[in-house]
Amino acid sequence: MDELELLKRDWKKDEDTKYPQLSYKEIYNMILKKSSSIVKWIFIISLLEFIFWLFISFALKDADFNKRFETYHADKIMTPFIVLGYLILVYFFYRFYKNYKTISATDNAKILMENILKTRRTVKQYVGFNLIYLAISTFIVLGIQFNRDKEMISLLDKASANGEALKFYALIILITAVALAIFIAFILGFYYLIYGILLKRLNKNYRELRRLEV
Amino acid sequence: MKKELEHSFVEKLEKNQNIVHKVCRIYTNNQEAHNDLFQEITIQLWKAYPKFRGDSKFSTWMYRVGLNTAITLYRKRKRSITTEDFSAFQYKIKSEPYDDTEEEQLKLLYKAVHQLNDIEKALVFLYLEDKNYKEISETLGITEVNARVKMNRVKTKLRTILNP
Repeated sequence: MDELELLKRDWKKDEDTKYPQLSYKEIYNMILKKSSSIVKWIFIISLLEFIFWLFISFALKDADFNKRFETYHADKIMTPFIVLGYLILVYFFYRFYKNYKTISATDNAKILMENILKTRRTVKQYVGFNLIYLAISTFIVLGIQFNRDKEMISLLDKASANGEALKFYALIILITAVALAIFIAFILGFYYLIYGILLKRLNKNYRELRRLEV
Repeated sequence: MKKELEHSFVEKLEKNQNIVHKVCRIYTNNQEAHNDLFQEITIQLWKAYPKFRGDSKFSTWMYRVGLNTAITLYRKRKRSITTEDFSAFQYKIKSEPYDDTEEEQLKLLYKAVHQLNDIEKALVFLYLEDKNYKEISETLGITEVNARVKMNRVKTKLRTILNP
């Protein structure tokens, strides 16, 4: 006999009596409990990511460095850049929330998985955007410093006097780039670790469902 | 209003709870995990209940939410002992005993089912529940042809696990 047929016969046998029957009260108590579903974890972790980047931008604002930065009188360049950053945060958050709201356990398995992955993708794009934003703003600030920071200008003058202006520029840019790269690598590493642990099973099942489908 | 909703939901679930037990039976292999998954499916059903329109049968709707929870939404609360063998986890004793070889074969079969991946388990579950390929494909979001192909692969896979 076909293996599955044998299994089916046993599966259907005494169906009404072989499972423990929960009472009305027991089921009622269950609906009062909190879910620990993956969607809930994704929501919490995504919120933390948004908060993390907001925190970073506020922390930078209060830093000593920023007070020094005010002496450069570079508001015309920086203000639009900061406003743009916040607008983009609002945009991503709106998209994240909208995607999150479409997640429904009553969709079919594939659509449910797609919606969850879409929500995560929005946050992933936001993190990517932040890293690019960080890199660009670092170099803009560096450009402003070359032109307006008194200490930097005096160092540059000294270097030029020795005929090493180019070497000076190269060194500063290199140090900045390496520091930036280390920071980005750290964030990405941390990020992929969380992302990997959280979505490992989902990704596996999604791939399994998509296999054969074109 | 909320009380009414709660009452109608709990009543329906109490009547149809075997569906949830059966999903748990396929996806878990000890009592603790069974209860944990049962709990999560109940919560997900309850959360989705306001959107249940009644244009499908409550039981049909339960299959979908139950499987979605087992395959996608559920995250184990504790990473505790899962070593306990399925056969050690007893469901109520059967009314008439099978002969020994069949009994042995069944034990092996259940063990083999637990070695399948989450999607394959869903296919086996829906098959055991007499769902046709149309329903299987609609629940999982794949085409009917692929549901058939996958089911045949599952059968082959089970056979290989049983007769290595």
